[in-house]
Amino acid sequence: MTDAPVPRPADVPLAPPQPTLRERWARRPPSPGFLVGAGLLAAYLVAALSALIVFRRSLDQLPRNLAWTPPFNPIGPSAAHPFGIMPGFGVDLFNAIWQATPWDLAIVAGILAIDVFLGFFLGAIAGLDEGGLVDAIVTFVGDSLGSIPTFILAVVAFAGLLTVAPNVVGLPVFVAVFGIILWPTMARTVRERARVIAHQPYIEAARASGASFPRILVRHVMPNSVGPVLSQVPLDVAPIFFVLSAFPWYYNCQLPGGPPTPPYTSPVPYLAPSLPFFSPLPSGSFPEWGYLLGFGTCEGFSFPGGFDYWWMYLFPLLAIVGLGLALGLLCDGVERWRRFDR
Amino acid sequence: MEDVRLGHGNVPPKVPPVIASPEEAPTSSGLCHDSFRRSGETIPHGSRRPLLSGFARYALRRLLLIPAQLVFVLLILYLVIDVPISLMQTPPESLAGIDRGFFQMVFNLFTGNWGTASFVRFLNGGGGPNPLEPIPWTWIFAYYIPTSVQLAMFALPIAAALAYPVSLLAGWSRRPGLDTPARVVTLTGALLPVFVVGTLVLNVLFLSYLGYFQDIPSQGLLPADFWFFDRGGYPSWILYGFATQPTGLPLIDAVIHQAWTIAAISLIKTLIQASVVAIAYVAIFFRHARSIARSVREEVYIVGARSRGISERTLLWRHAARAVAPSFLLVFALTIPEYLGVQFAVEVAFVDPGFGYLIFASLTGGVLSPLVSLVFLLAIVVLVWALVVDLIAIRLDPRGVAAR
Repeated sequence: MTDAPVPRPADVPLAPPQPTLRERWARRPPSPGFLVGAGLLAAYLVAALSALIVFRRSLDQLPRNLAWTPPFNPIGPSAAHPFGIMPGFGVDLFNAIWQATPWDLAIVAGILAIDVFLGFFLGAIAGLDEGGLVDAIVTFVGDSLGSIPTFILAVVAFAGLLTVAPNVVGLPVFVAVFGIILWPTMARTVRERARVIAHQPYIEAARASGASFPRILVRHVMPNSVGPVLSQVPLDVAPIFFVLSAFPWYYNCQLPGGPPTPPYTSPVPYLAPSLPFFSPLPSGSFPEWGYLLGFGTCEGFSFPGGFDYWWMYLFPLLAIVGLGLALGLLCDGVERWRRFDR
Repeated sequence: MEDVRLGHGNVPPKVPPVIASPEEAPTSSGLCHDSFRRSGETIPHGSRRPLLSGFARYALRRLLLIPAQLVFVLLILYLVIDVPISLMQTPPESLAGIDRGFFQMVFNLFTGNWGTASFVRFLNGGGGPNPLEPIPWTWIFAYYIPTSVQLAMFALPIAAALAYPVSLLAGWSRRPGLDTPARVVTLTGALLPVFVVGTLVLNVLFLSYLGYFQDIPSQGLLPADFWFFDRGGYPSWILYGFATQPTGLPLIDAVIHQAWTIAAISLIKTLIQASVVAIAYVAIFFRHARSIARSVREEVYIVGARSRGISERTLLWRHAARAVAPSFLLVFALTIPEYLGVQFAVEVAFVDPGFGYLIFASLTGGVLSPLVSLVFLLAIVVLVWALVVDLIAIRLDPRGVAAR
């Protein structure tokens, strides 16, 4: 009796080799949108790193020049001041936005990191464990937290913590609180995708071949559920800057009867920038885009003919929208590339 | 002898469907009974007719879940508001009276003690009753909620009228150059803080509005103070704090009292604000809804109809428009908190005495005591609203209940 010939390892057909990044790039170059987004984000990173060096001595304090503060006339954009002057702060707006870049990138990155970590992980577990205890808990908590507008819950939670320990609670706690509050939306969209993936034949095959729950989760479900994360991340930038700008705007603008409305009276009594008690920023001269936008909108329109002082709100607004667009274009490009590459 | 129990009208039962898994057994779901009833077939012998249909059971389950969710929201509010304040050594007057434990908090909420009078004093700019005197919850409903309701009554239809065709058209279009610009525009719209948009609109309108109506386009949904002063003062149906009688809705009350000029100004002001709300909300809605229209475009029956020569216009407005309606409603249910956030910011930008203004004012003024009640009320509105929209969407979608 002779045994059947056992094929040598060399005879076993090998799986086709995975294409390298260079080959993928050559086969499908990234979209123009991806390149624009990546370029914009790189510019923001360069600005943040250079600001760390240039403003290293007083990164958390805007340098106030008393010669530019009211009642002097506001100075518009020029060669010396490309973004003009913000009189209330007494700062060159270009420098202020530049100085704020590392802070804002850190705030956004921190919040989104917590948001993505919790939302992605919990959403994927819930989707794979559909109908199970984890799914029930995640869905219940997510739906309950999601019943309150994000910005209200974030501010209320932060204000509550601030009343306990005003000297301890600051920007890092705000980042943590906001990230924790943002996750339900992310988890909900990830869960829907993970549910669909959990019923795919290859998941059944992996389960039948003895793959454990964590392995299926990490190896199969999570990599295939990245799409909702990529589409949700740019949207989650909006509530962050809404909170950072809307409350300083309202607080600085508030008069008996509310924010200033035309016709304006002179002299305007609200030109000194200040922060509400629950603000996460450590001081009233802290460089941050949302604060600059909130105060700039108030100050710009506090003068008769608010559109003549457009630079006070336009440039902080462009910085915020530019960051959101950079993330949006980058995420869209990555998602399309992944879809094609599959 | 023929067994009459086999079915109504002595119709012999057909061969039961092949059951692939226990979940598909006819006795496990009321849907099977529904499908038998619709197709005119008899219910198989031995199966028990459930008391409620699948849809009713789903609706009941969701309805019963709402109290549990509200208790969870109360716990969260207790943890983030009451506990921190109870840990303070000497809480300020604005925070007084709310560090009394969870059950006391719930008791106050349901007995109408929504904070202290210092809150009302703050909003009225000083004066007022004893700061430790509880404020009646009816004040909130009488003074602040009607303004928000009137704005929402106009903003929601305008938002729907904009969001529905825009999302459908953008998702349906096959033009390669349209997709990225559409994404960029809507993402920019979502990133623009709505108070900036509101302030810009306010200032653009200011001169023409003042010239035409002798009024200003902000400060509530009624004409401004000086408009009334120039005309001999307030009519008797407008109370202190711009509350109106008898319904509380400024526009309706003006019509009831046949004050046509006030009604016209109120209508124009509401339309301006509602348009700002709608434009900002459409940007949020579009990001979620576009992919739905795109997936419908690739459905087999649409592709089949196209291959048979049906025009794109007919496919879009007669077939796709109906097919996306349930999914669009679900997106709407999902984005209700975002909608409310947008409306609240517009209320603040236009100085409306509404619910959003109340929340902004109490937060910015550091008066946290009424926030438990206000946020709890908001959670009730959102959860019930989401449930109703969700149920309508499922009712419209024949696959809705089965999919769940």
